[in-house]
Amino acid sequence: MSTELIFVQLVNGIQYGLLLFLIASGLTLVFGVMGILNLAHGSMYMVGAYLAWYFVSITGSFTLSALLSAVIALGLGILIERVLIQRLYNRNHLDQVLLTIGMIFVFNSLQSILWGNDPYGVAVPDTLGGSIPFTDNSSYPIYRIFAALICIAIAAALYFVVSKTRLGMLIRAGESNREMVEALGVNIKSLYTIVFAIGVMLAAVSGIIAAPMRSIVPGMGESVLITCFVVVVIGGMGSIKGAFVGALLVGVISTFAAVLMPTMSNMIIYIFMILVLLVKPQGLFAE
Amino acid sequence: MIFEKRTERIFLAIFFLIALCIPLFLEDNSFFVGKATTILILAVFVMSLDFLVGRVGLVTLGHALFYGLGGYLFVILTPEYETVNFWVYAVYILAISALIALVVGVVVLRTSGIYFIMITLAISQMAYYFFFDSLEFGGNDGLFIFMKPETSIFGLNFLNLDNPTHFYYLSLLAVLVTLLAIKITLRSRFGRIVEASRLNPERTEALGYNIFAFRLISYVIGSTLAAYAGLLFALQYGYVNPQFMTWEMSGTALVMSILGGMGTIYGAILGTITYEGLQYVFEHLSKDWMLLMGGAIILMVLLLRKGLAGYLEKLLEK
Repeated sequence: MSTELIFVQLVNGIQYGLLLFLIASGLTLVFGVMGILNLAHGSMYMVGAYLAWYFVSITGSFTLSALLSAVIALGLGILIERVLIQRLYNRNHLDQVLLTIGMIFVFNSLQSILWGNDPYGVAVPDTLGGSIPFTDNSSYPIYRIFAALICIAIAAALYFVVSKTRLGMLIRAGESNREMVEALGVNIKSLYTIVFAIGVMLAAVSGIIAAPMRSIVPGMGESVLITCFVVVVIGGMGSIKGAFVGALLVGVISTFAAVLMPTMSNMIIYIFMILVLLVKPQGLFAE
Repeated sequence: MIFEKRTERIFLAIFFLIALCIPLFLEDNSFFVGKATTILILAVFVMSLDFLVGRVGLVTLGHALFYGLGGYLFVILTPEYETVNFWVYAVYILAISALIALVVGVVVLRTSGIYFIMITLAISQMAYYFFFDSLEFGGNDGLFIFMKPETSIFGLNFLNLDNPTHFYYLSLLAVLVTLLAIKITLRSRFGRIVEASRLNPERTEALGYNIFAFRLISYVIGSTLAAYAGLLFALQYGYVNPQFMTWEMSGTALVMSILGGMGTIYGAILGTITYEGLQYVFEHLSKDWMLLMGGAIILMVLLLRKGLAGYLEKLLEK
């Protein structure tokens, strides 16, 4: 493998890892704060991608479509939390698993009813088309670099909100002691609604960003969900920092595995995750 | 009496009565006999999961690994064009499955809680991709079973696996044996300790029991039963492929078991029948059956606190 190829694959891996982080951050945030394992998180990613495709096909503007889709996703998150999730806070975790599996069925079916089962693609917006040349005979698409920068920006914003703002303080407090936060007069119910809606929006935004890079197909939510599980488990469930490190590791490892050992590539991240858990049974950044 | 609850006894009596008679009414309609057989086989799989999740406290999302393993082991171990004895090979397959479960168990039981869910998921995904990407095991297409085994014991042969009705009764027998095996295990001293370690691990450990060993043995029992279900399923349809091992398969079984009433064991049968029945009806109502199914699942979670078995118990217990 030439240094050039290694470099290109490394950039690919990091870019993929950043996207994974964006999806996984919502999953780990909701789990960390609310203790809910949202199996329908991948469906939200799918919803984001399909909405982006749908609005682009109507309006023709990617920016407008992205904004519209993100707002709809936020509304969807609030709706789901208020109508369904809220009823299960005092119930067994397995009931939450069952509920979110039911949601996967509903979203997959709605996708097929509304948009059919053909694969779709979103064109890369004109302003972000083209590539940047690396060397004489290799180049890198500008949109992918843009996507990576957006992921970094959102990661930074998330870090800022969680560690520097009042909302973030409440989120961290809610993670460590729910009863105490409630006793101090904080409306934990609306805090949960906000956190869940943010989680849904993060997944949908990932779908929107991924739309011009990946094909939009039925079942795209489930495959990404499982990869996200691997990411958050490696990092430590509930830890956003862990999700960041986990996502980059998984991104880089799976990209290199696909090149170096194609027949094993699908298994590699699971083997890596099991090895991590054998050394650190709570993930790398468990609290 | 190993069936402690009145509801349990009533349900099981009605279930076995109807199940015994079903082929008598459907003799020439082998599609429904086949469908009923599949439900019975799934019930075995779901009961084994219900035992692990509801009674031992091991929430696994990788149970389908052993379901697929039961099928794959049969095709791998038997010569392609030779009729083998079912019982002999069943013993081999269950023994190997138990051994694999023991090794997997030692690894996965190092974690607990949500990490246990995830590591079991990861191991079954690994196995899924192992078979999916392998050339020698047929990849995504899987492997076919060309010769159904014969079932003679000591020269006596009263079951012909090519006959759907005979296969149906073999599966019903599997349901009965699995139910009794789990119930007797739970009633035994071993089962009491296993349940104690789910309810209060610290105290059980303080009493001097090695929780890890008890959980490991339970994991082996549950996984081996799942392998038997997978073996029957592969034989019924004559093939095995990686789809047996998907996380959706594990997830669906979990849904069936929670719907039925987690940890009640008989609820697993109830949940399997309900889920499969609903799916059958919805599929015939609309091509968007998944929407109806998803809606039904969501409604049942919201309305039934302890699954269908819990609802029945509320009606029937005093």
